[in-house]
Amino acid sequence: MELSYQIPRPALIWTLVAVVLVLLPQSIRMPIWIGVVALFCVCWRVLIHNGKLNYPSRKLRVVVVLFTLIVSFSQIRNIGIGLDSAASLLALGFVFKLIEMRHKRDIYVVISLCFVMSMVAFLYSQSVLTTLYVALVVAVAMGAMIALNRSSSVVDNRGTARLAMKIAAQALPLTIVLFLVFPRIAPLWAVPMQTGVNSTGVTDEMSPGDISQLARSAELAFRVQFEDGVELTHGQLYWRGLVLDHFDGVTWRRSRNSSAYSVAASLADFRISYDDRIRTLGEPVSYNVILEPTQQPWLFGLHLAEDVNDEFFSGRNFELFNNGRITQRLSYDLRSYMQNQTDVLLLDSSRNRTLELPDGGNERSLEFAIGLRASVSTDREYANSVLAHFRQNQYFYTLNAPLLGENRIDEFLFDTMAGFCEHYASSFTYLMRSVGIPARVVVGYQGAEANPYENYLMVYQYNAHAWSEVWFEGEGWVRFDPTGAVSPTRIELGVQEALRNDPAFMEDDLFSAARFGGIGWLNAMRLRLDAIEYEWNQLVVNYDEDVQFELFERLFGEVTEQKVIMLMATLAFIVIVAVGFTVINIEPRIQRTPIDRFYLRVCRELAKINLVRRRGEGPIAFKDRICAERPELADAMAELTDMYVKLNYVGKSVSGAEQKNEMQALQTVYAKLKTKMPALAGLRRTG
Amino acid sequence: MAFSLREALTKNYQRWIAKNNPPRDQITLNRKNIFIVPTRNGLLFIFTSGLVFIAAINYAVSLAFALAFLMVSIFILSILHSFNNLNQLTLSSSSTQDVFCAEEACFRVQLSRSPKRRHESLELNFPNSSASPTMNSTTSYTDLAARDTEEVGVFTLATKRGEFKAPRLRVLTRFPLGLCRAWSVVDLNLHCLVYPRPVPFSMNQFDSGASGGSDTAISREGSEDFYGLRDYVPGDSLRQVAWKSVARGQGMQLKQFVDYVDNKIWLDWDMFYGFNVEERLSRLCYCVIQLSKTGNVYGMRIPGGEYPPATGPDHRKKLLRALARFGAE
Repeated sequence: MELSYQIPRPALIWTLVAVVLVLLPQSIRMPIWIGVVALFCVCWRVLIHNGKLNYPSRKLRVVVVLFTLIVSFSQIRNIGIGLDSAASLLALGFVFKLIEMRHKRDIYVVISLCFVMSMVAFLYSQSVLTTLYVALVVAVAMGAMIALNRSSSVVDNRGTARLAMKIAAQALPLTIVLFLVFPRIAPLWAVPMQTGVNSTGVTDEMSPGDISQLARSAELAFRVQFEDGVELTHGQLYWRGLVLDHFDGVTWRRSRNSSAYSVAASLADFRISYDDRIRTLGEPVSYNVILEPTQQPWLFGLHLAEDVNDEFFSGRNFELFNNGRITQRLSYDLRSYMQNQTDVLLLDSSRNRTLELPDGGNERSLEFAIGLRASVSTDREYANSVLAHFRQNQYFYTLNAPLLGENRIDEFLFDTMAGFCEHYASSFTYLMRSVGIPARVVVGYQGAEANPYENYLMVYQYNAHAWSEVWFEGEGWVRFDPTGAVSPTRIELGVQEALRNDPAFMEDDLFSAARFGGIGWLNAMRLRLDAIEYEWNQLVVNYDEDVQFELFERLFGEVTEQKVIMLMATLAFIVIVAVGFTVINIEPRIQRTPIDRFYLRVCRELAKINLVRRRGEGPIAFKDRICAERPELADAMAELTDMYVKLNYVGKSVSGAEQKNEMQALQTVYAKLKTKMPALAGLRRTG
Repeated sequence: MAFSLREALTKNYQRWIAKNNPPRDQITLNRKNIFIVPTRNGLLFIFTSGLVFIAAINYAVSLAFALAFLMVSIFILSILHSFNNLNQLTLSSSSTQDVFCAEEACFRVQLSRSPKRRHESLELNFPNSSASPTMNSTTSYTDLAARDTEEVGVFTLATKRGEFKAPRLRVLTRFPLGLCRAWSVVDLNLHCLVYPRPVPFSMNQFDSGASGGSDTAISREGSEDFYGLRDYVPGDSLRQVAWKSVARGQGMQLKQFVDYVDNKIWLDWDMFYGFNVEERLSRLCYCVIQLSKTGNVYGMRIPGGEYPPATGPDHRKKLLRALARFGAE
C-alpha cells in the first residue's frame, strides 16, 4: 500500500524539468545566490533518488526555516516588500520543498507552486514569448502529473508528452471562452508593484552623453497607432516627454521648486487655469500609444497632447504623468493639437525659471551671444541666426562626442564642435538664455519606424532626442531643433540614416535584428514579429473589463445582468458538451443488417400483443414459446424464424466473393418476408 | 449527529448501489455506474487556480486570468479523461481457486476493452464497507494498454470457513492527471470455497493403528521400498541423503523409504472427541492434507456424509470441500 505513494522515476524527472524551466527566467531577476541554492536543491533531490543522499534531517529543516526567515527580513529591509522580494522568497520555499518531496502529494504541492510562479512571470512580462514559455511550463507540469499517475512499470515519456499536449489542446477552447466571457472584476485592493528592474528610456536629467547612451540601444520604447487618415511626416514626430528647465552648468533638470506633478499643485502656483494658457488651432489628431515599461511615471506624446480618457495628470509644462511608475506595458489614448500656442502670457515665476543661468563660466559663449544679438533686430531672427551658425560652420553630428571639461558650452561651441542632440539642444538653449530670451530643453523621442504589416509606428530607444523650446513675445513657446540644422537627415529620414556609418549606434544590441535593417528578409522578419507582438498586445493583453463590455455591447446590444448570465451559461454548456463529445468517443452503434432490423421490427410488433422476447432468448426459443402460447401464429412464425435463422447465422459464415450472391439471395427472401407482415399485422388487430 | 448522518448516508449509498448493480457475471462500465469526485490533490489544484485568479484581479494582468482559466479547464478535462479511462471497460469473473481459512483468497477478474480504447492505471480491490468492515484487501494494479484483455487477481483474506461470496469489487483510477478519482463498484458474483484452517497435531495415533475401525491401515516411514525424494531437514540421517542429486546440484534431498503395512485409513468425526465442531474440522483438514501428501488411501466419515477410501487430488478436493461445506445445508 505504501508503495503506491512513492514517486516513480519518470515523474520525478518531469517535475524537476518543470521546476528548472519555471525558475530559469526568474533567476535573472533574483539574487544570484538563490539560483545557486535552487541548483543545489535540484541536484540534492536527484541524489536522493539515486540513493546517494538522504532526505534532510529535522535539524536541518529547522535551520533552513530560520535561514529563510532571516533572508526575508533582510530582503524587506533592503528592497522593501515588493514583487521582487516576494518572488524570490516564493522561489526559495519552492526549491526547499523539492528536497523534502517524498510522496505523491508533495509533487502536487510543487506543481501548484509551478503554476503560481508562472503567474509571477506574467507580472513581469506579458509578451508573446513569455506566453509561449509559460505554455511550455504548463505542458511539462501536466506531463509530471501524468507520469505520476501511470503505472511505474510504464516508461513512456513520449506517450506522456503526447497525452499532456492533447489535454492542453482540448483545454484551450474552454480557456478562450472563459477568457472572453468570464466577468472581469476591478482590483480588490491596490497593490503597489515594486520591481527592482532598472528604469529605461528618457530620464528627468540630461547631461552630455545621456541621450547618446540611449542611441546605443535598439530596444523598443513604444508603439503608436494613429486613427485612420492621419498623415504626418517624419519631421513632425516629436514625442514630447519632459521639460528640463534648470541648468547647473553640466546637467539639465526639472525645477524642483514644485515637487508635485499634479494639476492642482501647478494651478495653485500659477493662479491661472489650464484652459487660459493654451490656444489651439485646427482639428486634433487622435492616436493610441502602447508604452513599454519604463519604471518612470512620465508619458510621451505629440505636443500639445490631451488625455482622452482623463486618466493622467498634466504637468506644469504640459507634460503627461501616470499615477505611479509604469511597471507594465501601458496603453493610452491621446489627442494632440499640432497647431497650438501655449503661455502667450508668461508668468514671472516661469520667466525667471527659464532665464536662469549658472553663475560664471562659459564667457566666450556669452560674448558670442551678445554680439550676435546686437547684429539682428528681433529675438526670432537671433534664434534663426544661431541655427545658421550651426549650419554654416563645421559642426558634426556624432555619437562619439569628445569629453568636455569645465566650460562645457564654450568647449563644445568653439573647440570640439562635435556632439549628439543633447549638446546642440543644451548650447542652443544656453545661447538663448544668455541674451534674455526664455528657453528650455525638452527631452523625448523623435521619429518612428512604420510597420508595414500592421498600421502602426515603432519608436525605439535610439530615437531618443533632445530639443529646445523658445518663448517669443506674442507667440508663446516655439519648438527649435538645432540638431536639424546640423543634420537635416536625422529629422527628415531618421536616426538610422543619419548615423548609418557610426559604429557606436545600437552597439548595445549587437545581434538585434534592427542592426541588420539592410538585409531584406531579416528586416521583414523583425517587422512581422513586432506586428505579431503588437496584435497580441491589442487583442489579449489589453483585454480588460472595458474591452469586454464593449465587445458585449457590440454583439448583444445593451448589456444587462440577465443577458450576461444567460450568455455565460449557454457558452459554458456548449463548450462542455462539445469537449465532452470529443473526449468521450462514443462507441459506434451496433451495425445491424437489414434482416436484423426487420426481425427486430417483427419482435416489436409481437410485443404489442404481449409476446415479449425475453432477455437472452434466442429466435428459435422465442418461436417455440410463441407456438406454444399462440398456436394460431405458429405457421407464420415458424416460417419466418426459419428464414431468419438460415439467413442470419448460416449466411454469415460465408465470406469473400460469395457474399455478394448471398446478399442478393437475402434481398429476395427479405421481399418474401415482407409479404408475411400484413398477416402478422392482421393478427395483431384480432388479438 | 454528524456521525449518524454519515452512517445514514453510507447506508443509503449501499442500498442504492445494491439496487442499481445487481450481481452479474460480466459488467461493462458506463456513465450509469461510474462515479467521479476530485481528489485532495485536485482540490489543491483548484485552490491554486483561485489564488492565480485573485492575483490576476489585483494586478490586473490579463494573461494571469488566462492562466487561471486554463487551470480550471484542465481540471474539467481531467474529469472527462478520468471518466473515459473507465468507460466501456468490461469486467468479468474468471475461475477461482479454493483456499484455506486465514489465507488470502484470490479472485480472478478478467478485464477487456474495445480495441479503440486504452485503460491505464486501474486499481482493483474490495473496499471496506459496513457490510464487511474489516476487508483486508490488497489493491491490484493493472493497465489495459498493450493487450485487449488482462487477467488480474484481487486478493482478500478469507476469514470464515464455507462458501465465501466476495463483496463488491471496486475499480478505481486517478489517471491521467490525478486530480479526480473515478471509480465503479461492481458485483461480479465472485465466489470461492474456504476450507477449514488446518491445525497441525501429532499424527502418531495413526502409527499405532489404535483409532478408527478394524480395517484402519497406516503407512509409516520404513526402510524397505524406495518411495521418493524429499527436501533435507536438519537432523535427518545423513545415510539417507541422495548424494547423487547433490552432485547434480539439486540440493540436499533425502531418499524416502516406506513400509506398506496396510494403506487404507479411515478418518472419523469421533476421532477428535472433546473438540468443538470447527476444531474437529480443522484437524480433519490437516489429516487430509498430510495423508494426501504421502499418497495414502484414505476415507472419511463425518455427520451427513461418508467418503470411501481413495487417493489422488480429486479425492482430496472432494473431502476438503465436504469439510468446507459442513453444516451449511
